[in-house]
Amino acid sequence: MKQKIMPLITIIALFLLGIFMPVILKQYHLNMLTEIIIFALFAVSYNLLLGYAGLLSFGHAMFFGLSAFVTAIAIIHIPGLSLWNVILIGVGAAVIVGFIIGGLLLRHKGSYFALLTLAFNALFYAIATKWHSVTGGDDGLSITRPGLDLGFTSIPLDSLTNFYYLTLVIMGAAIVFCWYFTHTAMGKTVLLMRENEERMKFLGFNTNISRLILFTFTGALAGLAGVFYTLHFQFVSISAISPDMTTAVLLMVFVGGTKKFWGPLLGVFVYIILQNYLSNITDRWPLVIGVIFVLMVLYVPGGLSDVIMNVWQRFFEKKDNNGGKSATAEEV
Amino acid sequence: MSDYLHIQNIHKDFSGLKVLTGVEFKVTEKERHAVIGPNGAGKTTLLNIISGKFKPSSGAILFKGKDISGKPPNVLNHYGLARSFQITNVFQELSVFYNVLAGVRSHHGLRYNFFKMPDHDRNICEKVESILEDVGLVDVKDQPASSLSYGQQRALEIAITLSTDPELILLDEPTAGMTREETNQAIQMIDKVTAGHTLIIIEHDMEVVFSLANIISVLHYGTILVSDTPEKIRNDQRVKDAYLGEG
Repeated sequence: MKQKIMPLITIIALFLLGIFMPVILKQYHLNMLTEIIIFALFAVSYNLLLGYAGLLSFGHAMFFGLSAFVTAIAIIHIPGLSLWNVILIGVGAAVIVGFIIGGLLLRHKGSYFALLTLAFNALFYAIATKWHSVTGGDDGLSITRPGLDLGFTSIPLDSLTNFYYLTLVIMGAAIVFCWYFTHTAMGKTVLLMRENEERMKFLGFNTNISRLILFTFTGALAGLAGVFYTLHFQFVSISAISPDMTTAVLLMVFVGGTKKFWGPLLGVFVYIILQNYLSNITDRWPLVIGVIFVLMVLYVPGGLSDVIMNVWQRFFEKKDNNGGKSATAEEV
Repeated sequence: MSDYLHIQNIHKDFSGLKVLTGVEFKVTEKERHAVIGPNGAGKTTLLNIISGKFKPSSGAILFKGKDISGKPPNVLNHYGLARSFQITNVFQELSVFYNVLAGVRSHHGLRYNFFKMPDHDRNICEKVESILEDVGLVDVKDQPASSLSYGQQRALEIAITLSTDPELILLDEPTAGMTREETNQAIQMIDKVTAGHTLIIIEHDMEVVFSLANIISVLHYGTILVSDTPEKIRNDQRVKDAYLGEG
């Protein structure tokens, strides 16, 4: 019983905490928090591929960046476009591209999958860089956030506080759905495929279709994060779709740890705060993050969530040789 | 009346190496058919072809009159075929319960659903429990598969095979590597859980074959030497020469 209620309490507590944040935080920090929440969805969607399905993609930024660009282009070229339609178009683009590229990739796993996703990401990056008339090339695109139309009333999103609340609700709902997804039939199917794909085929599962569905789904989530990225900064540049963005999300997920659902959330929090403070101190902040990453891979390959779990088990749980094992099995 | 399962002139080459050269036999519904043969006769290859892991180089497999050769394993599973593996092929990290749940929910159509949680479905959970009861694993259902004894892992292998409620069950050396006592228990268990189903069993152990099968096919150098009842097989001179005599 305790196990079923705990996540629910955590989710409600985090939302309540989120609601009071604009009161507590200064604009600068609220800005950072909004960015953290957006990247949290991006990282969680990436971990569904990496941590749950065991698929190492080097192309997750193509969805994030594609939707970010499509959002900016749609707002610029279609006057009067409502926020809902912006989201719909942005996510729709990611779904279509995810489905097509996923269809081309679905027979590949391991390093072939990693390299092919990298290649596709590079292709999108090249298009964004060269197609200057549409994407703005190196200069990027600036937009103004449209207001939020709720039918009976409309809320302007010029103020950061309003936009923060919208981000909290939509990104939060998407992250909660991702958590729920890991417990559903499809979520378990993906996990079991990582464990033993051959057996899954003999149990009647079409594993290629499953991979395609997952790839499209995580692409759509990354796309949703990309839409909010553009809306948040009211600007998009080629950095959103560059392979560096994929590396960034990989680092976030890795720092937090892939084994727990909340690992990437922690990773994003640490990464973005670190990046903000380090970039104030030195221009060579990627060097520091790189060193931290190397040290983590060498000494804490399970990420921060693993460290926390170990400490927790040492102090709060009785030593029980069998308990640890069956807990992992249950969680699965 | 058409046959239930008709293996028609199956050939299989692995880049020039002819493993099966015209395998032909029939299985009637509810029959328990054993395929025996010396090491390297192609038994597992034959099972891999029937179960869809490999495509035959030529020939056909008629299941209730329909050619199913070369169909992928997931499609064959929907037709009602299921197989076990000679080398235990389970989900090692998962608990015994979740190992069996995967197949049961597949059979209930809960494969790719984004909203339903299969372990919250009472029908599915009850079905899992009843399978675990049948194979004698109900006491260890919350333990990870990797912590089970060898005999229990073999039982789990059978439980997973049964989990999609197949009508045609293919077992690949279910008692391989077991002690005599474990084998005897396994025979009883298999006898019980496959009652009322059609069974094709590949086996090395003559005791298993003679106590479970009612038809035996002897596979020798890629073809079926003879297909007959256990009594006739026991006295067949060709079988004695090819196989039984040697042992």
